[in-house]
Amino acid sequence: MTLKWGYKRAFLRCALLFVVGAALQLALGDFENKFLRYPWGLIFAINYLYLLLLIYVQSAKWSWLKQLYDGYASVSSLASLIVLTIIFGLTRQDPATQGIVGALGFSRMTSSWIFIIFLTYFVTTLGITTIRDLHHWRKVRLATLLSHAAVFVALAAAMFGSADKERVTVNLALDRMTYEGVTRDGEPYELPFALTLKEFKMEEYPAKLYLLDTKTEESSEEFLLVEREGVEANIGGWELKVKQSLEMGARMPESEEFREMKHIGAVPAVKVEAKNAATGERYEGWVSCGSHIFEPAYLWLGDRYAVAMPRREAKRYLSRLEIMDGEGESWRENIEVNKPARIGSWRIYQVGYDTQRGRWSSSSVVECVRDGWWSVVRVALWLILAASLVMFLTAGGRSLAENKEVKR
Amino acid sequence: MSWEHLKWFAAAAAMCWVTGAVLALRDAKQWRAAAVSACGSLIFFAFIVGMWISLERPPLRTMGETRLWYSFFLSVAGVAVYVRWRYKWILSFSTMMSVVFICINLFKPEIHSKSLMPALQSPWFVPHVIVYMFAYAMMGAVTLFAIYLWWRSSRKAPTAEEMGVCDNLVRIGWAFLTLGMVMGALWAKEAWGDYWTWDPKETWAAATWLGYLLYLHLRPQTKDYNVTFALLIFSFLMLQMCWYGINYLPSAQGVSVHTY
Repeated sequence: MTLKWGYKRAFLRCALLFVVGAALQLALGDFENKFLRYPWGLIFAINYLYLLLLIYVQSAKWSWLKQLYDGYASVSSLASLIVLTIIFGLTRQDPATQGIVGALGFSRMTSSWIFIIFLTYFVTTLGITTIRDLHHWRKVRLATLLSHAAVFVALAAAMFGSADKERVTVNLALDRMTYEGVTRDGEPYELPFALTLKEFKMEEYPAKLYLLDTKTEESSEEFLLVEREGVEANIGGWELKVKQSLEMGARMPESEEFREMKHIGAVPAVKVEAKNAATGERYEGWVSCGSHIFEPAYLWLGDRYAVAMPRREAKRYLSRLEIMDGEGESWRENIEVNKPARIGSWRIYQVGYDTQRGRWSSSSVVECVRDGWWSVVRVALWLILAASLVMFLTAGGRSLAENKEVKR
Repeated sequence: MSWEHLKWFAAAAAMCWVTGAVLALRDAKQWRAAAVSACGSLIFFAFIVGMWISLERPPLRTMGETRLWYSFFLSVAGVAVYVRWRYKWILSFSTMMSVVFICINLFKPEIHSKSLMPALQSPWFVPHVIVYMFAYAMMGAVTLFAIYLWWRSSRKAPTAEEMGVCDNLVRIGWAFLTLGMVMGALWAKEAWGDYWTWDPKETWAAATWLGYLLYLHLRPQTKDYNVTFALLIFSFLMLQMCWYGINYLPSAQGVSVHTY
């Protein structure tokens, strides 16, 4: 019995690919992308492109090759990829997972043979379609051509460039030059440049005061934002009023009062008045979140409730770095979250600091990331943006059903 | 401006929207229905702007805040579709959806701290979320329309024109999903060092994106509208998973960087 090429056979092919992927996963374990390290990723990418071009050209002669990129192939590969992505989304990504999920690699989806095979199938279909679109560019919508091409370039570059990504975490201590870090796999890594932390600075949001129920250990949902002296709020029946607010303060041992102190470890402190309208109780005292040097301070309201100040939230923090490249040339640059520094194909990201010490942190955690293919991906991403805009602006023309003539 | 004022603005906006919807259903002059509805959207937008000013940051961070935009964009999308394609029922749909989301905000507010963590302080933040909310609104509209076409009491098969509406809404919605996703990728590269990390939110965004992409590729190939409608509804379910479902999904607990 021969089954005509159509959805049934297209999905049967997907089922077979799944079986092949599962078999490879069981036989060989996780897919390793090390063989794609530069220059091999580039070499493979060029050959892959040539192969796609060859398939497209030859499909004029051998029409069965069209089965790699016609409507049935694209729909079935897309549908299979959706199924896998849903499994991906439903499975906790945890390399230690046992059982069938672990054995098929679903708990490490990006290195599962099944996923790689379907992604490759999808990208192949997309790639040949892009070549066809380019060949018949007059007949294809601009939005379609652009999105096919751009998504293909982005995905292909992401795949062939996947082995050339390097992520190295570096712990920097003040004024100590460092050129060694740790990769995501926990391996030590020597950077082609050296970093020195010259300064760490942090800005914080204003303090917030919560009502703490010490019996249930829950704090109120409402809070009083200490933006200035004199602010008031009613929280859980208590009228809270800020009488005095210190940005940097400290309390000497044996003393009840906080006073201004500009020194490492100084804490924000607030003098609060609390009145209970129902019972007439009234308390006054200092509240502070504490630091690595000073204890936090609470204002007790009777024996169950207390006014508390959690550590203030970081608004922004930055590291002033001295960067020295391999040639011995050095310069200074500030990095903060969302504002990495660049050195060649490396970027340096602000990731963390000593949270115990907060604004007084004398260390900073940065991550150095290299992605040699990023420039290609970036161009593709901007192209996709353009394609979507074109698609939005030209929507409303032909219905999709009318596109059929062009498609086939 | 604070959340306390929402009910007043919402009431005024809803009144406009309902009036616009009724006018449209009664075949009143098109510009009247459109203008009244647009007034409603404008009033609602005034509240959003007020919140933006008083919060001293764009109101895009919490679930409650994104719902504001969702309501707003649904109403705008409703007016746009009404003006462009003259479907008189669309304003009733968009009004209903907008009001539902306002009601959720009134009765189950998820409030609402003033601070914005450093990772969110980026020029990408506002366009990324707004574009996504607009896409969600379009997909919400097309889902409702699909449900109506599929299960309407007359059991009439959808006409080519009706399917054309679905196609166009999905095209626009998908274009905006793509914009949101790519802006997210460009932002992620600046903030986290990689443009795609298969974070649960990203994974579900990819599934949703692929779902609607499948619709776009399936439509020219099949006349079976049962399949296309089922796919539209299924894709919208994936969208829900991406938007807030992952907050409850066991596999995503504690691993997503997209929880605020």
